[in-house]
Amino acid sequence: MSAPKLELVDLVKEYEDGAVVAVDGINLSIAPGETVALLGSSGCGKSTTLNMIVGLETPTSGDIRIDGKSILHLPAGKRDVGLVFQDYAVFTSMTVKENLAFGLAVRKTPKPEIERVVAETAELLGMSDRLNAKARELGGSELQRVAIGRTLATRPSILLLDEPLSNLEAEARLAMRRELRRLQAETGLTIIYVTHDQIEALSLADRIAVMNAGKILQAEETTSICERPDHVFVAGFLGSPPMNLVRGEVSRCGETASFSKEGFALDLPPGAHLEPGRYALGLRPEALRLVPADGAPLSGVVSLVETRGSEAVVTVEAGPVRLNVIAPAHGRPAEGENVGVDIEAGSLVFFGGDSNRRIEAYPAGRTL
Amino acid sequence: MLKDSLNASSPETASVTQTPPKAPGTGRPGAGEKTVARILTMPGQLVSLLVLVAPLLVALYMSFTDWSPTRGSLFEAEFVGFENYSELLIWDTRFVYAVLRTLLISIACLSLEFTFGLGLAVLFMRRFRGKSVLFSAFLTPMMILPVVVGYIFWMLFQSSGPVNQIMECILGPDVALEWFKNAPLAVTAVIVTEVWHWTPLFFLILLSGLNSVPENPVRAAVILGASPRQVFWRVIMPMLKPVIIVAFVIRAMEIIKLFDEVFMLTRGGPGSSTETISLYIYKLAFNDFQLAYGAAAAFLTLIGSLVLIHLMLAPVRNQLLEAGR
Repeated sequence: MSAPKLELVDLVKEYEDGAVVAVDGINLSIAPGETVALLGSSGCGKSTTLNMIVGLETPTSGDIRIDGKSILHLPAGKRDVGLVFQDYAVFTSMTVKENLAFGLAVRKTPKPEIERVVAETAELLGMSDRLNAKARELGGSELQRVAIGRTLATRPSILLLDEPLSNLEAEARLAMRRELRRLQAETGLTIIYVTHDQIEALSLADRIAVMNAGKILQAEETTSICERPDHVFVAGFLGSPPMNLVRGEVSRCGETASFSKEGFALDLPPGAHLEPGRYALGLRPEALRLVPADGAPLSGVVSLVETRGSEAVVTVEAGPVRLNVIAPAHGRPAEGENVGVDIEAGSLVFFGGDSNRRIEAYPAGRTL
Repeated sequence: MLKDSLNASSPETASVTQTPPKAPGTGRPGAGEKTVARILTMPGQLVSLLVLVAPLLVALYMSFTDWSPTRGSLFEAEFVGFENYSELLIWDTRFVYAVLRTLLISIACLSLEFTFGLGLAVLFMRRFRGKSVLFSAFLTPMMILPVVVGYIFWMLFQSSGPVNQIMECILGPDVALEWFKNAPLAVTAVIVTEVWHWTPLFFLILLSGLNSVPENPVRAAVILGASPRQVFWRVIMPMLKPVIIVAFVIRAMEIIKLFDEVFMLTRGGPGSSTETISLYIYKLAFNDFQLAYGAAAAFLTLIGSLVLIHLMLAPVRNQLLEAGR
């Protein structure tokens, strides 16, 4: 990995003299040209992190570095970082052109230079014919383009976007998603998205950093984070429906280990490196398969079937445990039916009962 | 609630009042109900018609006659057409000067009140000790009766009054001014009184305007590199524009009618050098008993201020009417 573009080092933000810890020592380094999504529910500290990077808030401790140099002493507006707000915050009293020119005009850039950059930016965003429109008269996706363009015109090397798609309608979301991807490819910007919507994060980012209660729980490539969550919270947050999580105990009887909870038991495939104790077992809905009840590792009663297009989410009550299984929509079971559930080899995930961290129960190289 | 209960009992009501039945559950009053509503509100509308419109029409008629209360009934007075109006506009320099003077005082007062009000409002956007006490204190002048304000400042500006005494303390002896015996000084005294009295209104309106400015455009401007000064003039002030104009309109409507303070301070003097439109009309009507002529002056003023207010509102008219489109 090349030298990081942006580094967050042990970043902490406390409010009310430490009574409220919004950001609790996060570390993240982002490579040039990378797109990273900060994903978490509201109140997890992602917006505070954003505000600290851009300079609207001062961290309590820790450091923020761009190209290896601390930027904490620089005021907002001199950090080479742009921010696009969730509500766009376009200057409604101005025209599109005045909005795009704002950042340069306040820096006393010469007029011809402003004209050139504004024309370029408008071209990039496909708004050349709307330059003289009043910002007040624009629609949602146009407002967003103005907000992005206004920021890009100041040539930041890092672009922060706060919930970029959440205020758009379905169609505009798809178009804007494509546009943001194209923009990133054309400008080579380093982009950080802040969002609570995992679909948005998964579709826009190369890497996702999942935040909860002021901490980054896992930062990993989008493709692998769903399959190999590091933390119970990540497992229970990502995916639609998210991973099934069962808290219970692992006990050993000779070579075979089994996972149990009152009224629920599962013999584990041989070779599990697990000490007896409390664990959380993770079962991805995609890795479960409905089979006839006889001889299946798990069985239960179908309590709910939700079809969504070609597939269905089938909820199976296996004793006290409720499992979501993704099954093909045709041939889906009826509610109340008895079914068996088979588990795809190698898909069991274990988390420590207290640490909530993932535990490698089956070290690499072994198959189940 | 009332409408719901009316709808709920509509079958019975229909059989009693013979109104045609309407589709149930539409929630809108039918044609029959509308008629009933009109009949029921008729007395109220008649009263307001009598109270509001009738006197206006009588005054309008009066302005086209040469009536005076000493000369019998209004309806026996001679109809003189636009004579009063042409007299006012062409020959009555005292009226024209009163108009110009009122405009001058208005412009001076509004600009000073706006400047001080905005300054105070910006100050109050910060945090400081004693803010809530000062807030109440700054709003107090607005709540005092204009007559009382006029009286207070009349005392303050006496030749041996506190204003002169303070000036003597600061600038040395023999700088005492005869405030009410010199035309420019008298006008100044009027302006000072008005500004003291009504700056709080600008302060209050602008403060609530500043408080309702959305945060994110301001933050966006900061991130784009704007200095605090640039943020204020380029982002916040344009967003405040409708509020500012509404504040100006409210104050303009009031100050065009300026009467009480001037009456208490100078009675229009020395000579007629502080005479405002209202004061002149008052003198026409109650000193000279020229009621018809005064009515014509009043209507001219009404037309003039209507035009003025609409011109002032023009820049933000569309913006203010935008909601609900």
